[in-house]
Amino acid sequence: MAAIGSAVGLGNVWRFPYVCYENGGGAFLIPYLVALFTAGIPLMILEFSIGHWFRGAPPDAFKKVSKKWEWAGWFSSILPFTVALYYIVIMSWCFSYMVYAVDLRWGADAGLFFKNFLGDTGNPAIFGNISIPVLIGLIALWITVFIILYKGVKRIGKVVALTVPIPTILLIILTIRGITLPGAMEGLSYYLTPNFSSLFDANVWLAAYAQIFFSIGVAQGIMITYASFLKKKSDINNNAFIISLADAGTSFLAGFTVFSVVGYLAASKGITIAALGEQIAGPNLTFVTYPTAISLLPFAAAFFGIIFFVALLNFGIDSAFSMIEPISESVNQKWKLTKTKAVGMICLLGFLLSLMFTSGNGLHLLDIFDHFIANFGLVIIGLVECILFGWFFSIRKIREHANETSDIKIGRWWDVLIKYIIPIVLGIILILSIIENVTKPYMNYSWEILIAFGLIPIVILFIFSIILAKKKGNEEVS
Amino acid sequence: MLPTSAIIMLIFGSIVIYGGLAYFIYRAFKK
Repeated sequence: MAAIGSAVGLGNVWRFPYVCYENGGGAFLIPYLVALFTAGIPLMILEFSIGHWFRGAPPDAFKKVSKKWEWAGWFSSILPFTVALYYIVIMSWCFSYMVYAVDLRWGADAGLFFKNFLGDTGNPAIFGNISIPVLIGLIALWITVFIILYKGVKRIGKVVALTVPIPTILLIILTIRGITLPGAMEGLSYYLTPNFSSLFDANVWLAAYAQIFFSIGVAQGIMITYASFLKKKSDINNNAFIISLADAGTSFLAGFTVFSVVGYLAASKGITIAALGEQIAGPNLTFVTYPTAISLLPFAAAFFGIIFFVALLNFGIDSAFSMIEPISESVNQKWKLTKTKAVGMICLLGFLLSLMFTSGNGLHLLDIFDHFIANFGLVIIGLVECILFGWFFSIRKIREHANETSDIKIGRWWDVLIKYIIPIVLGIILILSIIENVTKPYMNYSWEILIAFGLIPIVILFIFSIILAKKKGNEEVS
Repeated sequence: MLPTSAIIMLIFGSIVIYGGLAYFIYRAFKK
């Protein structure tokens, strides 16, 4: 349940529907499902097996394969922590908007309201002022994360028993409301009508693999950490299938929620859905387009506004604390700190670092940070995992370990996927990202800004991972 | 009304994703 909560997050709502619409509509489901079964589920099985077998957070698990690779374990534990720094800021926006939804405070121009709310300077180099509502939400959320994590896995289990089903139920309510609105079918038609010629476009297939890879929460050390808590007889393969399909199911459902309301908005304004363009994805969808559509609802607009942001907060919170768990567990295991001390230190550090995203340039910094971490950090970890366990360890033994406790047995095809297919696909994604970023600055930001807030943080993380790996832990000292 | 091709993709996606999910949850409980 905790792993489902981790996999299902804000990206399912604000990324999948748009990627689907951009890459062939309903036809995108074919490469998406192929990617799910040939990359997402196999990687999930790999991470579950690693955590279950080595019974440790990533640094510990990687070290047991070879001391030389401990840095990679630290890298994969620190990376989700850095994602949490801005992820919790976005949740803080949701927190404020949940309150604003009571009186639909964004008014007629939700775009302008969003900019004012953030105190947006429009330039990543100009810091501006800290947004007080964002700061208040940030404090509340970091305290919440601390309270959930410091007691360990038992409390996590209790929390996810609520935070996994509640947002799904709310999403279903929002979908039912959405598809009964005028213009909804037009929106769904944009979402689902297949353009089969897109299946011959290599970029569509790469988009499908990238969507799966970024959505299900692999290559972040999270699944390895969670699997280390599993009982010895837990069914690894079946769990991997359930979590991956639950993630895909939420994304597919969110497409209906988003496109039905977007269709209604377009019909109300007398414009086409295509004219909304990128307003259908990311923060624009959540904080501008969707609130605008909510304001136009004929009745109970505030109610639907509140449940939309409550759903997002619930989707986000279990992903957020799962991003902190690998690093806190890694620190805990290496230096034998108490859980309270390890989680407290990490949450305090996280809060202080995430303050930089609360300033007037926070939206832009967050965008750059996310772009580099997703395109380079996660892909590098995925590659390292496949290479390390596929080529420097016996992949057959890992498969046998997974099969030992599993009802559904995986065959040699899985070895081929981990050793060859997935590294090749990730390698292509990485090379294309490098070419794209070198030839054209991301979003036309200046090179100085991109290097300062995109590249340098990744290099620092890499160096920091090596330092942590070299440091002696308490168990080694004794 | 949705175009026929969109309805076909809706049914296809639902069967694979939700059918698959139901099947694996059933296997988990059966065990």
